[in-house]
Amino acid sequence: MILDVIKNSLAAPSRLIPVEALVGNCQGSRMPEVRPAALTTAAAHLAAEVCPTAALAVERRDERLQLKLDYGKCIGCGRCMEVAPEAFVRADRFAFVGVSREALIRYWEVPAGTEIVAANASESVRAEINTLMGRALNIRQLDAGSCNGCEAEISALTNPHYDLERFGIHFVASPKHADLLLVTGPVTRNMAEAVRKTYEAVPEPRLVVAVGACGVSCGIFAQSHAVVGPVSAVIPVDGYIPGCPPTPAMLVAGILRVLERHTPLAKRKQP
Amino acid sequence: MPSGHFQIPETKDGKRGRLVTIFGRLNEEGKKRVHYVFDLEKPDYFESVLDGEQPVPSIAVSVPAACWYEREIHDQFGIEIPGSPDSRPLLSHENWPAGFHPMLTPGVERAPWPSASERSSANEYRFLKVEGAGIVEVAVGPVHAGIIEPGHFRFSVVGDTVLHLELRHFYTHKGTEKLFQGRPVMAGSMLAESVSGDNCFSHAVAYCQAVEAAFGVSVPLRAEALRLIGLECERLIAHVGDVGALCNDVGFSVAAARAAGLKEDLLQVSTRWIGTRYWRGVSVPGGLRADVSAAATADFARTIDETARRFAELAKVILGTPSVQNRFDTAGVLKRQVARDFAVVGPVARASGIDIDVRRDHPYGGYSRSELKVPFTHYGDVMARARIRIEEAAESTRLIQQAVGYLPEGEISTPFEPDQKGQGHSAVESPRGELFYWVEAGGGLITRCHIKSPSFQNWPALPFAVVGNVIADFPLINKSFNLSYSGCDR
Repeated sequence: MILDVIKNSLAAPSRLIPVEALVGNCQGSRMPEVRPAALTTAAAHLAAEVCPTAALAVERRDERLQLKLDYGKCIGCGRCMEVAPEAFVRADRFAFVGVSREALIRYWEVPAGTEIVAANASESVRAEINTLMGRALNIRQLDAGSCNGCEAEISALTNPHYDLERFGIHFVASPKHADLLLVTGPVTRNMAEAVRKTYEAVPEPRLVVAVGACGVSCGIFAQSHAVVGPVSAVIPVDGYIPGCPPTPAMLVAGILRVLERHTPLAKRKQP
Repeated sequence: MPSGHFQIPETKDGKRGRLVTIFGRLNEEGKKRVHYVFDLEKPDYFESVLDGEQPVPSIAVSVPAACWYEREIHDQFGIEIPGSPDSRPLLSHENWPAGFHPMLTPGVERAPWPSASERSSANEYRFLKVEGAGIVEVAVGPVHAGIIEPGHFRFSVVGDTVLHLELRHFYTHKGTEKLFQGRPVMAGSMLAESVSGDNCFSHAVAYCQAVEAAFGVSVPLRAEALRLIGLECERLIAHVGDVGALCNDVGFSVAAARAAGLKEDLLQVSTRWIGTRYWRGVSVPGGLRADVSAAATADFARTIDETARRFAELAKVILGTPSVQNRFDTAGVLKRQVARDFAVVGPVARASGIDIDVRRDHPYGGYSRSELKVPFTHYGDVMARARIRIEEAAESTRLIQQAVGYLPEGEISTPFEPDQKGQGHSAVESPRGELFYWVEAGGGLITRCHIKSPSFQNWPALPFAVVGNVIADFPLINKSFNLSYSGCDR
C-alpha cells in the first residue's frame, strides 16, 4: 500500500511553484493598492473613515494633505475599495514583504496623487535568487497570540507547492537550533514572558521576523486590554511581513528578502 | 429575575439537556446576568437567564461541561460561583492583578502589572500533584515544537504511561469578546474571522446569522447557497489537512505531503473563485460582500471533484496501511460517557457515539433545504476520528457539487440598518463542531457578543482520552482532536 502512494506521487506532475512566480505575488491576500490618478480628497477621506485598523489616514503636513497607507496595519478587509472603488483596487503585485517597519508605510499627496518617496526608501524586491541558494537557515515559528490564520499559511510553506526546503530553509523544533524566529500574533499578556524567553534561547546571531498585521501592528486587536503590543514591543525585529494573513507566496518572498537584507553574503553584493 | 440554583432542563423524553454554553452579560442597568443555553433536541436552543448580582451556585458537579464556563464568567464579570469544584482563574494568568474583571471596566484600559509580591506564591496556579514511587511530572509548553499555537500540558507519567494530564490554556487570550463591544454591527464579522483563523468562514457566518436573527433579516437564496458552499469547502480543507497531519504524526511522510498538496489545491481554487484562500472577508450581515467569479465556476467544480477523488484514493491507502492501523487503532479512546459529561461536539463527539450535527439538528441557511448524511461511530479512538473526517470530506464534496449545480441567480446581500435594539443567536457546524454566537446590539453598535467555540467545549475532554496511553502518542491523539487554541482562548 505504501508503495502505491509512492508510485502515485512519483507519477504525479510536480506542483512546485517556481520562485519567480512567488516573489511579488499577492494573489488571495486582498491587499489594496492606490490608483494615484483617481485619488481625490473625498476618496481619501471616505476610505480613511471606514478603515477598521487606521491603516489609512489623511494627514496634514506643511499645509498640504497627504494620504498615509500603512500596510503593516492593513487586514485586507477591502472597505476602502468598497467606498472609493476608483481610487483603491486590489493589488496584483506586492513588494512590501521582509522589509523594515518604515518601508511598509506609503504616502501620497492629495489630491495630486504623487507618491511621496522618502529619501532612503530604496526597498525593492530584487529576485537575485541564485545568491540565496546554497545556504541553510533554521526557522523557529513562535505564536505570540495569533488567531492561527498565519500558522495555517506558514504550515503551507512545507507543502509540495512552496517547498521552502529548496532554499535550504527549514523549520526546527527548538529555539536553540534556530537562526530566525518567525513570530505571529499580537503579543498577549499571557504570552509576553514566553516570547521573551524563547527569544533569549535563540543563539546569536539571530533574526526576528514579525508576521501578519497582528505581529507587525496588533492589527484588529490593537485596542485589546489583553494584548501587550506588536512583536517589536517585546523583542527586536529585523523584518516585517504584513497581511491578514500573508499568503504563502508573500511569506516565501518576505523570508528571502530578510535574508537578502541581513546576511553577510547579501551585504557583500550590495554596492 | 430568578436567582439561586439553576435547574438543568430536560428533553421531552426526560433526558438531561446538553449544555451548549454559559455566559455573563451586563444588562441595560449594568446588572450582571448569567445566560444558560441548552440543547433539548428541538430545532431551537433553550435559553434561561439568572441574576448574577447574587452568587450563582455551580452546576459543574452534575454537569462537568459547565466548569470552564463558570470559571470564565468569574474571571470576566467577578460573578461568584459557590460550590465550584475548581475555582482557579481560567483566562487570567499570574501576571493579571487579583480582582481584575475586564468586562466590568469601561473602555480599553489595560490592567496594571502586578507587583513582584503580588505575583508570589499566593497567586500561583496550582496543578494537581500526582505523587508516588516512580511518578515523574513532564511540563510541556506554552511554546511547542512545530508550527502550532501555544498552550501548556502537565503530564504525570510512570515510565511511558500517562497517569494524569492537566491542561492550562488561554495563552492566546486576546479579550475578543470585550473587543466586540462598541464596534459597529456591520464591522463585527472581521473580528469574528480573527477568533480562529483556520475556521474563519464558520465564525463569520455564525456571527452574521446571529445579527440577522436579531434584526429579522432574511438572506438572499444565492448568498445562502454560497455560504453553504463556503462552509463545506472550509470543512473539506480542514479534514484533508487533518488527515494529512495525522499521517505526519505517525511518520507516514509521503501521504502527509500528498494531503498537504491537495489542501493547497483547494485553497488555490478558492482564491480563483472567491478571491481569498480561506474565504476571509466574504461574509457580512445580510449576505455576502463579494460574488464569485462566474468564469471560474466550472474550474471550481472540477477542482473540488478532482481533489476529492484523489483524497478518497489516498484515504483508502492510508487506512489500509498496517503501520497506520497499528498507531491509530485503540489509541486515545474517548469514552461515550466522558464525551457526554463534557458535552463534546463535532467530529470528536460523532466518533464517540454521540450523534449530533448542527446542520441536521438545528438547520440554518441552505441546510434547511439539503439532505445530509451524518457519519457516526462509537469506537472513540484516533482511527474513529480519522474515519469520521474522511467520510465527512466525502459528504462535504457531495453538498458542494449539489449547491454549485443549482446556484440560484440574484442578489447576494439584503441591505438593512441595524439601528434598533436586538438580540440574536446562531449556531453553525464548523469543521470542529458546534459554534454558537450570541449577539446583542443597539444603536448600530454591538453591546455584547459571546462566542462558544467547539474547541472551548472539547479541550477539557482531551485529557481523558490521553490517560493510559504512552506519552509519545500524545501528539497523535491531540492532532486527532484538532482543537484550536485561539478559538478556545479568544
